[in-house]
Amino acid sequence: MAAAHSYSLAQSILKVEDVSLTLGDNLILDKVNFEIRNITRPDAIAGQVVGLLGPSGIGKTQLFHLLAGLKQPTAGRVLIGDPGQAVERGMVGVVAQHYPLFMHRTVLGNLMVAGARSGKSEAECKAKAAKLLDEFRLSDRANHYPSQLSGGQRQRVAIAQQIMCSESFLLMDEPFSGLDLIALRKVQELIHGISTAHELNTIIVVTHDIAAALEVADTILLLGRNSDERGKFVPGARIQATYNLIERGLAWRRGIANTPEFVECLTEIRERFALL
Amino acid sequence: MTASQPQAPAANWADLFRPNQAVSAVAMQIVIGVQVVIALVVWWMSPWAALPKPNEVFAALGRLWFAQGLGQELLTSFGMNLQALAITAVLSLGMAYLTVLPAVRPIVAAVAKGRFLGLSGLTFIFTLMAGGGRPLKLALLVFGMTVFFVTSMAAVVSAIPKSAFDHARTLRMSEWEVVWDVVVLGTMDQAIEVLRQNAAIGWMMLTMVEGISRSEGGVGAMLLNQNKHFHLAEVFAIQILILLVGLLLDYAIGVFKNAVCPWAVLTLERK
Repeated sequence: MAAAHSYSLAQSILKVEDVSLTLGDNLILDKVNFEIRNITRPDAIAGQVVGLLGPSGIGKTQLFHLLAGLKQPTAGRVLIGDPGQAVERGMVGVVAQHYPLFMHRTVLGNLMVAGARSGKSEAECKAKAAKLLDEFRLSDRANHYPSQLSGGQRQRVAIAQQIMCSESFLLMDEPFSGLDLIALRKVQELIHGISTAHELNTIIVVTHDIAAALEVADTILLLGRNSDERGKFVPGARIQATYNLIERGLAWRRGIANTPEFVECLTEIRERFALL
Repeated sequence: MTASQPQAPAANWADLFRPNQAVSAVAMQIVIGVQVVIALVVWWMSPWAALPKPNEVFAALGRLWFAQGLGQELLTSFGMNLQALAITAVLSLGMAYLTVLPAVRPIVAAVAKGRFLGLSGLTFIFTLMAGGGRPLKLALLVFGMTVFFVTSMAAVVSAIPKSAFDHARTLRMSEWEVVWDVVVLGTMDQAIEVLRQNAAIGWMMLTMVEGISRSEGGVGAMLLNQNKHFHLAEVFAIQILILLVGLLLDYAIGVFKNAVCPWAVLTLERK
């Protein structure tokens, strides 16, 4: 097993306290608890990527909406920063599964409207938009409309738009869904690039693709339901397991997918996943 | 064979008679041209004596235009149609956009149900309200178009996915800003398309409305007068002119839509 990197945990970035959600008579989430703290490394910029995994229909998207402030929990609270402030929409960047954009605005227009809502002046918005377009290799698409972009370009614009508005916290819903191997690698590189661009950059990837998440994440949270003594699922999902990939020497390394420790961890998570 | 691959029109004519095939624009233009020629020949060769021949119709068109002021009547009708269309668009779009307010939804739903009412039955009430003449015709046209416009546009607003609203909300937009960007600007291309359909409805209704109130004249009044005297060549001539002006209006709104909403026609696919 590779040696774990030296790191320390600093202030809280996100805290989910006893969050429950009931829709109609259905208990979807039951006392979900987890905390993401700022990770600092002595030798590198260490933003972080958290993979929130769970089977389809378990309530990942509902939790995603709660973390984004788009929905209020039935009980409990989601706190952002330190000291914790109850999450409100706009505090967290949200990249939904199909990369929604304003179709009637150009790429630059999409970034400018997001920047304006964050209270920046027009000059600041233009400067930041130009920087992001350059970083995301979209400068030549600034005056194109979303309907003229490829899927990968749209995803990058959607991420850039959220960064214009929400700075360092990004939630991504199923970013690996339906991608071929090359596109998957590109998205993973993109996520890695954003997370290492700034110390406080934090990305939560909500997905059911275990291997893809494992390759890019520092922490894996497993969302699932408990079973009763007869093996029947009890309503209400909660965090069933937390995998610290830094401790396992699986974080901050490229090309680990074929290493024995990666395969071992993947197998362990898959076995647990199958029971959820 | 796909529409994105330019091809010779004669590539495979059998594709014209196979389901779900795409053919080139040139091939389609040739098909339309051939069908128009066939229609003209059928018209020319028609055995029905009552049906005026094309040359009679064009001669009648000349008489109407130069001797009976068809151009002026057409201008009167067209102007009133545009005025009614403008009023309808403002009223209908306002009502459709306001369906974001739950309190307004029942009112808009009730207005949309008005499309099942007969215009003839409402004429008396509208006459009492509008006083007759141009205001009466305007009121009838606006009512007739609004009930359909509101129905279509309210459906467009209702079909906006929740994810589009959520996306705007994640950018810290207030609810009214969400309405402006997602509902108003985001559906502008569809609003113009609905306007286009309702312009056609209004243009079709115009002759009927001008028949109800013949003050000020208009092509509708002229059409009914020619009908009354059984001048079939003149009737056909007016109908053809109404059709051509309607098509021109439809084309103009399409050009306007493409100019104002370029995103609606742009795709990654190369045509």
